[in-house]
Amino acid sequence: MSAVRSSLALAVLASVFAAGFAVAQPAPARPAPPASPREAAPIDLTGQWVAIVNEDWRWRMVTPPKGDYASVPLNDEGRRVADQWDVSQDGRCEAYGAAALLRMPTRLRIRWDGNERLVLETDAGRQVRNFAFGAPAAPAARSLQGQSAAKWVTPPRNPGGPGLAGAGGGPESRGGYLEVKTTNLTPGWLRRNGVPYSEDAVVTEYFARFAAPNGDEWLMVTTLVDDPRYLTQRFIVSNHFRKEAEGGHWNPRACGAGS
Amino acid sequence: MSLRSALRAVFGVLFLLNCAAAAAQTNLIGYWNPLFHEDVDERIPGPSIGDYLGLPISDAARLRAEAWDASLLSMPEHQCKPHPSTYGFRGVGVLRIWEDRDEDTQQLVKIHTHIAWQEQHREIWMDGRPHPPEYAQHTWQGFSTGSWEGDVLVVKTTHLKAGWMRRNGLPLSDRATMTDRFHRYGDVMTHVMIVEDPVYLTEPLVKTNGFLLAPAGTMTPYPCEPVIEVVREPGFVPHYLPGKNPFLGEFGQHYGLPREATRGGAATALPEFAETLR
Repeated sequence: MSAVRSSLALAVLASVFAAGFAVAQPAPARPAPPASPREAAPIDLTGQWVAIVNEDWRWRMVTPPKGDYASVPLNDEGRRVADQWDVSQDGRCEAYGAAALLRMPTRLRIRWDGNERLVLETDAGRQVRNFAFGAPAAPAARSLQGQSAAKWVTPPRNPGGPGLAGAGGGPESRGGYLEVKTTNLTPGWLRRNGVPYSEDAVVTEYFARFAAPNGDEWLMVTTLVDDPRYLTQRFIVSNHFRKEAEGGHWNPRACGAGS
Repeated sequence: MSLRSALRAVFGVLFLLNCAAAAAQTNLIGYWNPLFHEDVDERIPGPSIGDYLGLPISDAARLRAEAWDASLLSMPEHQCKPHPSTYGFRGVGVLRIWEDRDEDTQQLVKIHTHIAWQEQHREIWMDGRPHPPEYAQHTWQGFSTGSWEGDVLVVKTTHLKAGWMRRNGLPLSDRATMTDRFHRYGDVMTHVMIVEDPVYLTEPLVKTNGFLLAPAGTMTPYPCEPVIEVVREPGFVPHYLPGKNPFLGEFGQHYGLPREATRGGAATALPEFAETLR
């Protein structure tokens, strides 16, 4: 009887380990080439998106008064520069730089250019941003949109979540987001009334996508601006965009004083 | 090896596998300080009367808000009200998040959120239980269940008391529901609220709130005891009758904004609305 028990116990134990081994160690095969960033994308950001401006409305939909830099953690030098702005500068392209472009009332079109570059276009200010995956790009001249290095961040698969089975998760809801770091910028404005960021600014953005209960698809971009020249601390905002049909309303308008 | 020993080994292996799965989750536990880099006027000093910019409100919501008198908050019945969960994450006060796990299985049963102001304590059930029937009690924080979408905590809340979407009288009904999402990026957390209300919203209201991890955070108690602040006639409730609120135009006049903007509505949040203001 004892021998039978021991045999049964060993068989059970062996089957558990074998099952685990089978899951963790698939049969050896020729390693597949690494997926391109386009193929590896955990979420699809492409398409047309419209900004829903229901936060900071009076700083985003209209040009706020000179000196209205409430809630931006400016240092003394930042305030001094902001106070030099004049209403005749309203509409200039500095307001459409990478650190604040997505705060504008705008539509976005996002598409792949090849397998290693995402392109984001705005109709407001007619700006184009390039998110490059892979090896860092060679240094280029500073620009309003700077140079952006992108990478996907994908959580490990964890079907079932940390709670009981059925508490959530699963392959169809794996999540993940795009992280973009932008440097090599020319000076720009965090707000249309000349609240400044400098060429030293580093902009870090997280692009996430989710579905609302009513079926609407949303893009949420959390933006972190670090600027040791004009800010006392990191400036953090988030913008949300609703998915639209391809070829929907698109109203390109160039930036520039008086536009 | 005995059967008992073998079964212990089996459970040990299963335990380790489960721990590996749990470790893959985003850890939201800790203290979080709210960031006020957005909507600071609304969230710190409080919104202006008649400021409905960008909000997808219905005519009924506008009518209710225009009748609202801030003196209402001085009444004893209203002094100790917490924010409903549909607003609390936009308010002031430290946020603390912690979890309850079953002692024997270490399975996640519940996540708690607690916001300092008026002690807004919310329980988010993670054990797959259903929401109660509609006739169950409605509370300020409602009934919440959570699940994970990858590393994002997604929470569905029902059974809310009639509350508010903005502290200037814009109401939410007791039929409102909310889906909120907790996205963590290092020491930054973006909280997303998707509020639906067939009475006072014409489309879902989506808002985002930023938080910064506070490793040395603390939570203070917030005892509240109502007192008579203003002696009033019995039964009097501060209010304005339709068309009689003298303060509705002040916000627009101060900032030079047209009435069709300040009165809100879904269209005022779209880029093309900005074009009409030029």
